Amino acid sequence: MKLFRTAFGATLLVACLGQPALATTQNVIFNGTISPTCTLVIATNGTMTVSPDLQTLSSHNSGGSAGTVTLTTTGGVSLSVDPVTTTTVPAADTTSTTWTPTYSSAGAHSIVETGSATAISTPGADLVSVHLAGTKGGSNRFANGNYQATVTLRCE
Amino acid sequence: MKFFGTLATVLAVGLIPAAAAAQSMSPMRGEVNSFTDVFAVRVFPANPYDQKIKVEIHVYDQDFQPVDARISPAVFQLGAQASRPVLVVVPFGGAAERKVRICTESIPFPNQQTQIRAQICGKFFGHRKS
Repeated sequence: MKLFRTAFGATLLVACLGQPALATTQNVIFNGTISPTCTLVIATNGTMTVSPDLQTLSSHNSGGSAGTVTLTTTGGVSLSVDPVTTTTVPAADTTSTTWTPTYSSAGAHSIVETGSATAISTPGADLVSVHLAGTKGGSNRFANGNYQATVTLRCE
Repeated sequence: MKFFGTLATVLAVGLIPAAAAAQSMSPMRGEVNSFTDVFAVRVFPANPYDQKIKVEIHVYDQDFQPVDARISPAVFQLGAQASRPVLVVVPFGGAAERKVRICTESIPFPNQQTQIRAQICGKFFGHRKS
């Protein structure tokens, strides 16, 4: 019986020697989820200049310049500006001013200048131009001195 | 001690995302389940600039009214290209669920005539489980 077992095992071993090993494959699954993401990098602040009639202080006026911001996003976000609440005016300016912030975008997403929120659904990078205009009505005029205003650009 | 216990509970069921570099804030979306009367969110503001900036974290409701949340830390200096975790604990205020915005704000170049405040807001939804 022992001889039989040895002979059978040896025969089986010899029979298997000529056979290639069976290869197996197994897929390894990778998953990734990116939630909406937004990066704002302010490149330059803006400059406002006064109009010849002294009733508009704006980055649109001659010599003025928009603030520029680089926007990079995955999409699924919204871009907007807030009403201006933080301003500094010279003491000589005692009349009210209406401040109007706007923005436009060029790059992966073209946004015509607007003050409203814009939904961005696709990924990409843009250069956002931020403008600010202050206007006075009636006979009111901007005064000599330093003006400062803060525009909030929001991505959410 | 009770506070830390509560905190641990809400963190256990809350949102603990991985930090990501070169983003202004991550994550920007999230839903949190909590078994307590608060829920916690950990966000990671990042500074994409090559200079140190002052960062403020604010919490607002859906109408952009301030929410009385605990923010740790609420105001801090963030080094160039750096990111750090901020823990925000939001009370439900008796409601079963609450939507809030957590916003990272900074004015990287102050003292200019027209300065721009960059505000990155994430939307978070807390559910209170009984």
